[in-house]
Amino acid sequence: MKKLVRILDGNIFALSEDNGDMAFSPTNPSGFFAFDTRFLATWRLTLDGEQLHPLAVHEPSYYEIRFFLVPGHPTHYVDAKISVIRDRWISDSSFTERLTVLNHTGEPAEYVLRIDVDSDFAPIYSVVWPQASALRGYREVSDGCLRLGYRREKFHRVTDVFSSEPAQLDEGGLTFRIRVDRQGKWSTTLQVKCLVLRPDGKDVRDRLGQPYGQGGTARRPPSDLDGQLHHDLRRWIAAAPQLSCDWAPLTMTYQRGLVDLAGLRFSPLALPGETMPAAGLPWSATIIGRDSILTSYQALPFVPDLAATTLRMLAVFQGSVLDDYRDEEPGKMINELRYGEMAAFEERPQSPYYGGADVTPLFVVLLDEYERWTGDAALVRDLEEAARAALHWIDEYGDLRGDGYLWYHRRNDKNGAQNHCWKDSPEAICYRDGRLPGLLRATCELQGYAYDAKRRGARLARELWGDPAYADRLEREAAELKQRFNRDFWISGGEYFALALGPDGDSVDALASNMGHLLWSGIVDESRAAAVAGHLLGPRLFSGWGVRTLATGQVRYNPLGYHVGTVWPFDNSLIAAGLRRYGFRREAGVIAEAVVDAAQHFAGRMPESFAGYDRDLTRYPVPYPAANSPQASATGATFLLLRTLLGLQPYGEHLVVHPEIPERFGRVELLGIPGRWGRMDAIGNARLGKP
Amino acid sequence: MSEAVRDFFDDLTRGGGRMLRQVSGTVRFDLAGPDGVDHWLVAIDRGQVMVSRGGADDADTVIQTDEALFLRMARGELKPLPAWLRNDFTADGEFRFVIMLERLFAPPPGARHPRAVAGHAGPAEGR
Repeated sequence: MKKLVRILDGNIFALSEDNGDMAFSPTNPSGFFAFDTRFLATWRLTLDGEQLHPLAVHEPSYYEIRFFLVPGHPTHYVDAKISVIRDRWISDSSFTERLTVLNHTGEPAEYVLRIDVDSDFAPIYSVVWPQASALRGYREVSDGCLRLGYRREKFHRVTDVFSSEPAQLDEGGLTFRIRVDRQGKWSTTLQVKCLVLRPDGKDVRDRLGQPYGQGGTARRPPSDLDGQLHHDLRRWIAAAPQLSCDWAPLTMTYQRGLVDLAGLRFSPLALPGETMPAAGLPWSATIIGRDSILTSYQALPFVPDLAATTLRMLAVFQGSVLDDYRDEEPGKMINELRYGEMAAFEERPQSPYYGGADVTPLFVVLLDEYERWTGDAALVRDLEEAARAALHWIDEYGDLRGDGYLWYHRRNDKNGAQNHCWKDSPEAICYRDGRLPGLLRATCELQGYAYDAKRRGARLARELWGDPAYADRLEREAAELKQRFNRDFWISGGEYFALALGPDGDSVDALASNMGHLLWSGIVDESRAAAVAGHLLGPRLFSGWGVRTLATGQVRYNPLGYHVGTVWPFDNSLIAAGLRRYGFRREAGVIAEAVVDAAQHFAGRMPESFAGYDRDLTRYPVPYPAANSPQASATGATFLLLRTLLGLQPYGEHLVVHPEIPERFGRVELLGIPGRWGRMDAIGNARLGKP
Repeated sequence: MSEAVRDFFDDLTRGGGRMLRQVSGTVRFDLAGPDGVDHWLVAIDRGQVMVSRGGADDADTVIQTDEALFLRMARGELKPLPAWLRNDFTADGEFRFVIMLERLFAPPPGARHPRAVAGHAGPAEGR
């Protein structure tokens, strides 16, 4: 996707060229977006008919930007007689731009300043996956306002444009005929409001008591906004544990991760005033169940509140009926929610969509882990019924063949996902020889999640729900699952676990990173852990920067393949945690060091994924052109890796610290780790000279 | 007021819907019919549902629509959330009750158990 400059506040964002212009074309993702809809597709500034070019672009924070512009084409030396400053920010659900025209000559001058305005009101899906999109809707000019609107039946989206200075309005934009004194300046403030209107003319969001963008930033005058956002960010960083480390890349990645996680927070309509992590910015600024859960899990020792909101939100959305189009079943947790036109008119199933077989067991995993860290028994009791329904879903709706495994098979064969796991691209689940299995699939990591969910559910049942009989049953089922799994998924010739079982119960035998998640879940027999660890750190899976999604030598392996060869930091963070769980501390450290090392090539921002080339070949991690940056579970990887290095584990009311630090890190100090113990410090020193 | 609406709320009183035990609150339905607007108040107390018909009492969430559309949702023919996105009904108050509305209504007719579908699993695409 094209490199554009952007500003954002939660799920409201604007993308433009580096001169601030947005110009509609079906394949251009620039625009002003809110509520999963593009409200502005064209926003183009000209001065006396000429386009402007940037001398400088300044981005003081994620929600504001400043462009210094001059007319004419860029040359080595621009002796401008006039310049324009475009200050742009997002607040209160609006896009605001202050235009300032500076006359640098000794004479007064007259200019014609023009803003072209247009919109296609495209749902985000059509922008990310470009289709035959066109400018649409009606245009109305009234006293002081240009309105762009789009109606479909009662569905109604509106973009209103206002100017603080008088303008000549027409259906295509605003024209200012201005006179600027010598050495003088002129300015106007343009406000673009996006409205999600009901038939009675009210905005749906106003009627649901929702602070629009990120938690608490809406509804304040713009003058105060800057201070509020800065204050919020300062407080957020101050509340997180303080890290110091001899190896600068770790502290840099940690600091960057905290700021990115702050930017990823959004306040869901159903829980106004609370925040949870969105999956990625800008295109996935929504609930994606898996990403929200994993990020909350990774960040638990640092910012535990995210998990509470995530758990409560997912419980609100928990499936309660069979619905083929949405792949919904009672007890199932959501995969994705969207508010755009395609979701509204059921051209896409995200209203919400439930096509993920991992989200439901992972909900139970997060609930248990959350209580272990925070001691918040009230939430676990509150969500008892939701958690029981989730556990029931695994057996009743996940075990599609009645053989005790968690399978998936979409019922929406029109536009449902083929793969209901994190590797959700169509070719991700494959045999070694490149064939694709039939659509009834049981990937290995799902079995690990189900095992872990049952074990953790048993603990909750015994200790918090007062139901020891249920706990016994869950533990028995988990033990049986583990035994069965180690028998049926093991490929004895290759000494590794199959990626999946296919429709006939045969082994889908590609060698893939999914195996690492099995260690994290604890489903692997002790006797087999060393072989698994050997593969994960071996040359086919380990690139030198991390564990590849798919091993070299598999027919579909491609170092630039989204789920068939790239390295994903979030994947690696779970793998490292799994290795640590089975006692492979040195190996966990190797992965942590490799991934953090890679992150410094991305200015400390942990990328969603990067290419799977051998480290010796490229010497630096080659970026994968991801749509989202930051991406939540990649951001969270740093936190889980840090937890793994320090060996942090809640044990009753205490925090156990058991560091195993690779030499390169030197000393690692993490001060003020929040939890049921209050605040605790963890300090670890590398053991020098140890291999 | 139509018989069908009354029957639905009678059944809801008896059956109780599928509300989760952690949920408490009130939802008022303002249903426009041929003889004007009827108000139905659904009070949820830790998952237990009670229904009363009466005036425009205060509620955590107020749903406004006409009887015909309401009945399509009640029969499971229309999913509430996309219907809300299309403005087929309007909601004021707490959004979580819009999401959980379907817990008061019948499941979609004709939906299949995933095991029934998996039994006839087809081949992979693009094999």
